[in-house]
Amino acid sequence: MISGDEYRESLRRVKPEIYYMGEKIESVADHPAFIPHVNAAALTYEMAQAPEFEELLTTKSHLTGKKINFFTHIHHSTHDLVRKVKALRALGQQTGSCFARCVGHDALNAVFSVTYDLDKKNSTEYHQRFLNLLKEVQARDLFISGAMTDPKGDRSLSPSEQSDPDQYVHIVEKKRDGIVVRGAKAHITGAANALGHLVMPTTSMQEADADYAVCFYVPVDAPGLIHIFGRQTNDERKCGGCIIDQGNVEYGIVGGESLIIFDNVFIPWENVFMCGEYDSVFELVERFATAHRQNYGGCKVGLSDALIGATYALAEVQGTAKAAHIRDKLIEMTHLAETLYCCSIACSCQGYRLPAGNFMADPLLANVTKLNVTRHIYEIARLAQDIAGGMLATMPSEIDWHDSRIGKYVDKYIKGVADVPAETRMRLLRLIEGMTCGTALVESMHGAGSPQAQKIMIMRRANWERKKRLAQRLAKIGEQPRFVC
Amino acid sequence: MLGSKIQVSLKYCGSCNPYIDLSKIGGELKKAIKKENDLNLVSPESNHIDTMVILCGCPRACGNKEEIRARAAQSIVVAGETIDLVPVPEKDISATVIKKLKSR
Repeated sequence: MISGDEYRESLRRVKPEIYYMGEKIESVADHPAFIPHVNAAALTYEMAQAPEFEELLTTKSHLTGKKINFFTHIHHSTHDLVRKVKALRALGQQTGSCFARCVGHDALNAVFSVTYDLDKKNSTEYHQRFLNLLKEVQARDLFISGAMTDPKGDRSLSPSEQSDPDQYVHIVEKKRDGIVVRGAKAHITGAANALGHLVMPTTSMQEADADYAVCFYVPVDAPGLIHIFGRQTNDERKCGGCIIDQGNVEYGIVGGESLIIFDNVFIPWENVFMCGEYDSVFELVERFATAHRQNYGGCKVGLSDALIGATYALAEVQGTAKAAHIRDKLIEMTHLAETLYCCSIACSCQGYRLPAGNFMADPLLANVTKLNVTRHIYEIARLAQDIAGGMLATMPSEIDWHDSRIGKYVDKYIKGVADVPAETRMRLLRLIEGMTCGTALVESMHGAGSPQAQKIMIMRRANWERKKRLAQRLAKIGEQPRFVC
Repeated sequence: MLGSKIQVSLKYCGSCNPYIDLSKIGGELKKAIKKENDLNLVSPESNHIDTMVILCGCPRACGNKEEIRARAAQSIVVAGETIDLVPVPEKDISATVIKKLKSR
């Protein structure tokens, strides 16, 4: 296991090709646009070494028996699945933002099980190759991203039907010592401050799509790999010398996402874990999606804990905390957050063993969890904005508050109750603004897949025929079985 | 000769929210076991069970407990559309279980 500072040093040692706002970034560990994301990821290392969180964030490797960071662990029980949710909540509380490391963790668990199944089915050697990577990830405590989503081009067409074949990552050449891939992955959380990417296909495929059925690991500084870091709401505040106006200055408002370009990138066979097995892509997509959707009632609830706290504190500063309707709204925010937590805990408890020996959460309940996140987090944010008042969107900047001519007026008219300084209200408002007014919310909608993706999975698992038989028995329609099982 | 037959028992998980039609599969298995000369269906409480077929409605496999497996020399676990963790379509589950029973 490594420390947060050792993680930062490891980022400085690699030289990936990363661009942001037209600038080629020399060191993400030292650039203001990236530092909050680096800090959030660093906390996954720092908290693992803190006695208060050690029980949640460390465990023993099933491969080596050595103590490892939980984010490199393969789940071997429902207890592990529950622990992941609790760990994510604890981290979300401390960062108030996305710490990005769960994506690669979920990818490790999905690829672990699917490579095992592939080898059993086809006598391939993917699983042993993957175990070699996993050992390295655990030994070096590597932060890797999980890269699944392709740009997709025309959504009505399959990968092989696209007019531009690069809309999905695909194999362009098979060589004696490896493969060459081209295409892109979009919205990849943590890609800019990870050390490598575990790349997976994104949708179910047919035989014609075989070249798109590819899964591999690639280090961030591989030749031909280009990262373009996305803009976020108010991101210029990170680079303009503002502190208070950033809201969550230490950890940012949400995880940093990148568009990753694969411009004829060579992948040695030792890092290839699927190569043309189109009929196993669905399992990989479903297992990764299930693991990732399981998370959202953990991390987002941790963030909600911080948001509810900020909203309550702001109500106190504004003199409204004792009003019945404010308390009712705070209760509702808490109820919604804990409902999400219940979902994540439930899908973890109902998890089950896969042939490889690892455990995955219940897919139906994991998808219900994430679908609820696309609604409840917005409602929690709406209530926070309701309680905060219009000042959330109209407050003068901290630069005007510092100004020698007008600063005294900003201070005088931003102040709430007499015994609390205006600065306290400003800090709380900016924190709530960052957590509810922009990119952070969209992450709750589309992170781990859009709502329709969850609905498709729910439809597949809903078992409507059985529900129909239950109704027919009760309504005494047709032949009546004693029980419907 | 009852003594030379394989003593088979069926144990259900509890059927809270099954993905597969457990009643139908259980019924098919009972019929098929009666037809086979070398298989004999006994109660899960029987003192002599060679193979316990544990019928679980979903992959959570709540019926796959040590105390149930311990009642028999060996067990076959149906859990949703899997048998002993291998994917099997629902329509093929009972036939696959019978095949496994006879191969033991």
